[in-house]
Amino acid sequence: MAAKYILYFTAEDHYLYRAARGELALDAKFSGDDPGISAFREYLRARKDALFSVMVDLAGEDFHEDQVPLLRGRDREAVLQRRLAQRYRDTRLAAALSLGAVTTGERRNERVLLTSFTNTQSLAPWLDALDDSGARLAGVFSAPLLAPALATRLGVRSGRAFIVTATSAGLRQSFVEDGKLRFARLERAAEMVPQALAMFVRSETLRLSQYLTTLRVLPRDAGPVQVLVVAPAGQRAAFEQVLQSDARLVFRTVDAAEAEAAVGLKRKPRGTAGEGLYLHLAAKSPPREQFASSTERRRYIVWQLQRAVVATGALGLVACALFAGMKWLDVVQARSRAELQAQEARRAADAYARITATFPVTHTSTENLKVAVTEFTRIAQRGAAPERIFAHLSRVLEEFPQFEIDSLKWGTGRPGDGQAPRPAGATPKPDPQGELETVEVSGRVNATQRSDYRGITAQVQRFAAALGTAGFQLTRTQLPFDVTSEGTLTGDIGGAETDAPRFTVVFTRKMP
Amino acid sequence: MTFTAEELKKLALPLLAALLLLGAGGGLIWGADVALKAALRQAALAQRERQLSTERLARIAEEEREVKEKINVYQRLKALNIIGEERRLEWADAMARIRAQRELIDVRYRVERQRLLLSAPGKPGNVDFYASTMRVDLALLHEEDLLRFLGDLRDSGNAYYAVRSCSMSRTGNAGGGATLVPRLRAECSIDLITMIDRGARQ
Repeated sequence: MAAKYILYFTAEDHYLYRAARGELALDAKFSGDDPGISAFREYLRARKDALFSVMVDLAGEDFHEDQVPLLRGRDREAVLQRRLAQRYRDTRLAAALSLGAVTTGERRNERVLLTSFTNTQSLAPWLDALDDSGARLAGVFSAPLLAPALATRLGVRSGRAFIVTATSAGLRQSFVEDGKLRFARLERAAEMVPQALAMFVRSETLRLSQYLTTLRVLPRDAGPVQVLVVAPAGQRAAFEQVLQSDARLVFRTVDAAEAEAAVGLKRKPRGTAGEGLYLHLAAKSPPREQFASSTERRRYIVWQLQRAVVATGALGLVACALFAGMKWLDVVQARSRAELQAQEARRAADAYARITATFPVTHTSTENLKVAVTEFTRIAQRGAAPERIFAHLSRVLEEFPQFEIDSLKWGTGRPGDGQAPRPAGATPKPDPQGELETVEVSGRVNATQRSDYRGITAQVQRFAAALGTAGFQLTRTQLPFDVTSEGTLTGDIGGAETDAPRFTVVFTRKMP
Repeated sequence: MTFTAEELKKLALPLLAALLLLGAGGGLIWGADVALKAALRQAALAQRERQLSTERLARIAEEEREVKEKINVYQRLKALNIIGEERRLEWADAMARIRAQRELIDVRYRVERQRLLLSAPGKPGNVDFYASTMRVDLALLHEEDLLRFLGDLRDSGNAYYAVRSCSMSRTGNAGGGATLVPRLRAECSIDLITMIDRGARQ
């Protein structure tokens, strides 16, 4: 983190501290006169674009409580600026601190504490020097503005309390109510022994208490008010001995070292008194409310914006990286899952290979062996041979010696092909209905008179019926005489006996 | 708050840096997304592979029985030269031998061009079945000569003989002379089937 410079502004001398990593280092000291301002300008020349804050610890401060309508945004800002302009002649270093909302009658108002310095002229040249140098002014704070933060760090988070510290400028007393600054004053203090300083603290606190009671800032019947006193290092015992609580004030003394530890100040230069606490708080956790205007802080605001933009980008990157990281976790899981599956597949394949190695030796793969034999078997089962049909025909002819066969046609084909045998060379295709073996037998009927058409017809019908047995099915019979109504019946009664009557029988068998 | 040109210039670089950072973040997500999709694909493939391997392993007992059952048929087909390139010269030899042995009067044949009957998918290669149709014209003395011819043809090997059609008719010549005259004519169409195992080791 970049170092921050804090100008500690007192009535006499001004000290420039460098704050980094919880440590304070005194970088320079300037007198309050013109040579001091020149030296400061010279100092700033070498620190262009540096980050500066101003911590004012002056006696002349004004605190005035007021009420404004409860507004927000620019309207509120305009009203507050008008109120500040009404109260202070120079509003360059004036601030309005919110004390919370209040309801009066039907209106809702906001209580504000208007505060400024009675003499801002001494500060102006130093702020001008900062502006001219191009430094980034984070803010102008006063010790009272930081007192609520100090009180919180020291354990006072609510109620009324006086925060008393001994700074290089004098004895700083701040009155804080429920974490809000209500009043503060700085009383010059000469070099004193611890007991004297403690007595001074007691008397000044009593005075302030009475003053605030008079102003009705502190109610009379409010009960005892806590006084938190930060004693210089090693003087706590002396302070506690002097600072006895009574019905109005309850003193609690904290050693400076203990207070520094509470605010997180690790190291400070020798000679830096109670202001070290305020300087550290101004560097580490500055309050939102301060004296510098937004115009004076413009470079700082732009600088903050630059950092905010980059931080947003970085945050986006981190968010994307986290999201991508989650996806990568899924990737790793998916890859390990795939690797696991691949290992199991390899193991199964190895086991398969080991087992198949014990199979009978072939010159082909198991897959091809199965395919070759299965397909060949299918083809062979679809194949037919004429021998069975011939044997069947031969057996039937033995029963019908008067029948003489002239021609025989055997073939295989699908049912749609009718009696026609399959054309030679046609590719056999498996048919869901199966193929048929078809036989067409043509012949003559001997030893029967042609004129005996009833006898011949009966013999052919018996012959055809005999062929249509033993798994064979009679498909068509063409008799020597067409006795159907659709055909033509001819006869030659008394004529000479010529050729024997001819017939044709077609029968089929379903192939497996 | 209105920014001046100089202030905007000061903000330009951080804005660019922020955009680059956001772009890098987007790139990280995109890269992770691509990797995730690839990994999921790979996982799905591996799962399928494992499933197939496991199923194949589970079926191994059945497969062993099947192999033992089929190996004899396969070896028989190999021995008969049904598996392998077709052997037309051997077919011609067989026809001549059958004619001589059976004393057939006239045997005419013509073998057509080979054609692919079926290509069965196998691993590592397919098993292709081919057919060459042979048309045979025979002059016969007796019907049984045809059946004997077909039987001899089947026994000769070198192909699987699938008889597709046969027709037989009388020639009208009466026997009884000094010379042998064919009484019957037969015409047959026979597919000579062979197969090539593309996955077989040479």
